[in-house]
Amino acid sequence: MRLLVVFCGLLLAVVTNVYAEERPVGLDWLEVVAFAGHQTDYSGVFVYQYDNRDETSSIIHVTGSNGEYEKLESLDGPKREIIRHDGEVWSYVNHKMVQVESQQGRSSFPSLLPEQLSALSANYQAKLLGMERVAGYNAQVILFQPKDNLRYTHKIWVHTDSGLLLKAAVLGDKNKVAEQYAFTQLQIGGKIDRSWVKECDSAGLHGKPGLQQSAKDISPTNSGWVADTLPSGFKKTMEIQRKMRGKHAPVTQIVYSDGLSAISIFIEPNDQDEDDVDGLSSRGAVNLYHRIMDQNLITVVGEVPPRTVMQVLSSVRYNGK
Amino acid sequence: MKQEISVLMDGELFEDEAESLLDNIKRDAGIPNDWEIYHLIGDVLRQPEHIHRDLSTKIRERMHDEPTVLAPRGRAVKQRMRTIALSAAASLVAVGVVAWMSLQISPEVAPQMAMQQPALRPASMQIKAGSNDYLIAHQEFSPGADLNGGASYIRTVSYSSYEAP
Repeated sequence: MRLLVVFCGLLLAVVTNVYAEERPVGLDWLEVVAFAGHQTDYSGVFVYQYDNRDETSSIIHVTGSNGEYEKLESLDGPKREIIRHDGEVWSYVNHKMVQVESQQGRSSFPSLLPEQLSALSANYQAKLLGMERVAGYNAQVILFQPKDNLRYTHKIWVHTDSGLLLKAAVLGDKNKVAEQYAFTQLQIGGKIDRSWVKECDSAGLHGKPGLQQSAKDISPTNSGWVADTLPSGFKKTMEIQRKMRGKHAPVTQIVYSDGLSAISIFIEPNDQDEDDVDGLSSRGAVNLYHRIMDQNLITVVGEVPPRTVMQVLSSVRYNGK
Repeated sequence: MKQEISVLMDGELFEDEAESLLDNIKRDAGIPNDWEIYHLIGDVLRQPEHIHRDLSTKIRERMHDEPTVLAPRGRAVKQRMRTIALSAAASLVAVGVVAWMSLQISPEVAPQMAMQQPALRPASMQIKAGSNDYLIAHQEFSPGADLNGGASYIRTVSYSSYEAP
């Protein structure tokens, strides 16, 4: 009898072990990161690198009963400051604080949905690469390697105790870094300056007019436009009509995501006189491709390789409503 | 090991990993065989009409059968070398003359050539300031914001800063 119990125990251990291997550990880490990033109080300095440029900024993130507050300040170049309260974002533009983004509907966290995670595991191979030290903290390094060549490799460094993202890199062809964020100094918890939070609430930022749009300038739509050849796993997350500066007609934006990166398709009537808008350009890991198709200007933007934005654009067509 | 070889063939190994793997392959006699079998499998999957089996062995055999030419060729080679050297010198002079002329005649030639270069490599072109609004609109809905948290807004800041007059 005792032998049977031992055997059953052994069997159970083996079964749970097999089951544990079924679900890639990298995904658990992603959930931890998405949660910790919103729930932890921290302040620090990080460097953002792209296209042989680098920008150093300071960041303070605190949570309170009114939600999340965040202050970002550029430390080199012209002074730039961003303040975020949940989905609302303000920025200093020409010495005035103006709203640049407002998403009332956006939930503050956790933002990684289960279906996104399953798409992610179908299209990326997650690998634990061991431990490294970043900004004085021990970090677990995790690599998300795409299973095709239509997306970039993502590499993240996660603080093992708090789950905070300490460093993140997007790797392009031949594993060259296309863009990277990394903390150089970080304080987690403890005494963090909160004086600006009160200022933010009392200064009445919430009443300030928007820089580009308020929520009412964005409305959900069903435009009848489709893209036939998206890489597998990219699901439509949003289809909206929005006003954009300098455009007479509203612009249709369709967003697709595979959990780690997104592709946006913009469609608008072509009212420009220039014919030379066609072409590909890039900044960091973001690629942008413009083309005029039957009186419409189509723009595809995404954190994906150039071949992907070109492939997506060539498959865009009007399907009728 | 086999898994690693297949990953290497797909071009998905990192450079240092690939190097150590290639070292191992050189050391182990059985592995070159695996290497060939994997390539054969790949060939069969891709184009079933033309399958080359043991191609490298066959080429080696055929080269073995080729007659060796023993005729002296010294002078011909030397002469060819001299011609090459002469024409190389000539073209160097020509480049020098053209460079000197362009400097003398029009100082604008060089900048013009520099401006034409990006057109040849469209992928390296920077996104124009006029397209910033697309980037900001895209950024709002990118999942990167969920992982990087506030840090991802730095993109929005740096985009906005481009257009500040």
